Amino acid sequence: MSPRPLPTPTWLGTLPFLAVLLGWWLLPMLVQYPPYMLPSIGAVLEFARESIVDGTLVRNVLASLARLAAGFVIGMALAVPLGLAIALNRHVADMARPVLSFLQAIAGIAWVPLTIIWFGIGNGSVVFVIANTIFFASLYNTVLGVQSIPTSLYRAVRSHGGRGVALLTNLILPGALVQLLLGVRTSMAYGWRALVASEMIAGSSGLGYMTMEAVQWQRTDTIILGMIVIGLLWVVLDRTVFTVIERRTVGRWGLLQR
Amino acid sequence: MSEALALPGVAPARLTRRGVGRFAKGSAGVLLLLAAWQLSVPLVGLSPYFYPAPSDVVAAFVDLMRKGILPVYFLDSMGRYFAGLAAGALLGVAGGVLIGLNRTVALTLSPLLRFLFAIVEVAWIPIFVVWFGYGWKTILLALVYVVFFPVLYNTLVGVRTAPQALVNALRSLGANRVQVLRYAILPAALPGIITGLRVGAGFAFRGLVFAEIVAAKTGIGYLIFEGTQTQQTARTIVGMVVMGLTWLAIDQCYLRPIERATIQRWGLTVDAEQRA
Repeated sequence: MSPRPLPTPTWLGTLPFLAVLLGWWLLPMLVQYPPYMLPSIGAVLEFARESIVDGTLVRNVLASLARLAAGFVIGMALAVPLGLAIALNRHVADMARPVLSFLQAIAGIAWVPLTIIWFGIGNGSVVFVIANTIFFASLYNTVLGVQSIPTSLYRAVRSHGGRGVALLTNLILPGALVQLLLGVRTSMAYGWRALVASEMIAGSSGLGYMTMEAVQWQRTDTIILGMIVIGLLWVVLDRTVFTVIERRTVGRWGLLQR
Repeated sequence: MSEALALPGVAPARLTRRGVGRFAKGSAGVLLLLAAWQLSVPLVGLSPYFYPAPSDVVAAFVDLMRKGILPVYFLDSMGRYFAGLAAGALLGVAGGVLIGLNRTVALTLSPLLRFLFAIVEVAWIPIFVVWFGYGWKTILLALVYVVFFPVLYNTLVGVRTAPQALVNALRSLGANRVQVLRYAILPAALPGIITGLRVGAGFAFRGLVFAEIVAAKTGIGYLIFEGTQTQQTARTIVGMVVMGLTWLAIDQCYLRPIERATIQRWGLTVDAEQRA
């Protein structure tokens, strides 16, 4: 019962964007408000040009992406072994489940005040929060992945003499991988929010930092540019990386439910 | 993601021997963690500002309860959360049904909606702060925003899955628009609505904590932030514990029963209708 995706958008889809831009352009002529509340399109474009030319925008984007990647790698590296242990051993699972459920419930942004004490403002805090978020999302997916391997496949591998490491590499890891890859998009959606949020509070560079820092100077042109870049970057990442991973692997193996 | 390691195919713990055993082992896990934490404090030897012990946290909890701070903060947070959730869900369902009824409208609007959802609620908070200041308006708007889009999008997709044969049959039997909506479209959209609500509820809970860290002077998120600012790290941990237990309670008592009562029942019904 997974919902059928909507048909691919046509040129019609550009109309609402044009309408928003038109509204933004017309608004100052219709209503009076101080210019700092909402800068003109021209001002935002001009600021975008400046910050691309002097390299600050690119630096901030790269800093954010590097932290996301670091957090993702650390979180996955910790989650997969523990997830396998939980999925394969009932005693480990029984003992760990309440603790992990609880920690999962506070995963992410709530750790920022503590990480500021422990690691200070900057990379350490932000990467910790992303890794923490990705860890719990991937842990769940690893466990689910192993559990969803059909029993008949276990029996088949066993009856051919597959045990121990052979069982792990031939059945359990590939089986868990499917669910992990399916889960990457959701994990990253949480990780992305954690990135932007933790940069806003504990960052010293990056998109979140750039956007929040601008509040004290009431630089709404910076804020709006930051929002647009955050939105565009997520759309691009989602379209080019996560959806492609999903299609190449899960779709090809025929495990995507339709 | 919010499924909280509830393993598929495993019934919730009941008073069976297996259930009791699992409860005992689970409690042992929790106690083990707490004991390790308490014992590690003298070994680590850092000040309670960096690394408070469980006993410090309990003391901070008692203190916050006695002063009446925690109950007030908790109720403030819950008020914001459920107000945001309800408003976002209502707007999302209404918008999703209205947009979803017409194929052209759905096609036209969906790229913009997807882009707006990609600008995560977290990214809106700075501009909300400039527009509305630090306070409940900013927090509530962020929550409505983060619930609205998943509910809207999933409702939209759900409405589009309403079997056309069923709609045609109802029409030819003389059903009016409201009846078509009531008997064909809403039941088809319901699993999507619930999925959207679940996703939104999970994002909104973390969004609440973040918004309270940035823009509130009360609430659990504020408690978490304020604790470290005033060198009372134990208070921060009280806030984190309350946050975790609250989410587990919301998930167990509220979201999961709804899901069981709707998706599992209605989802199957709709599926059977589509196949027929």
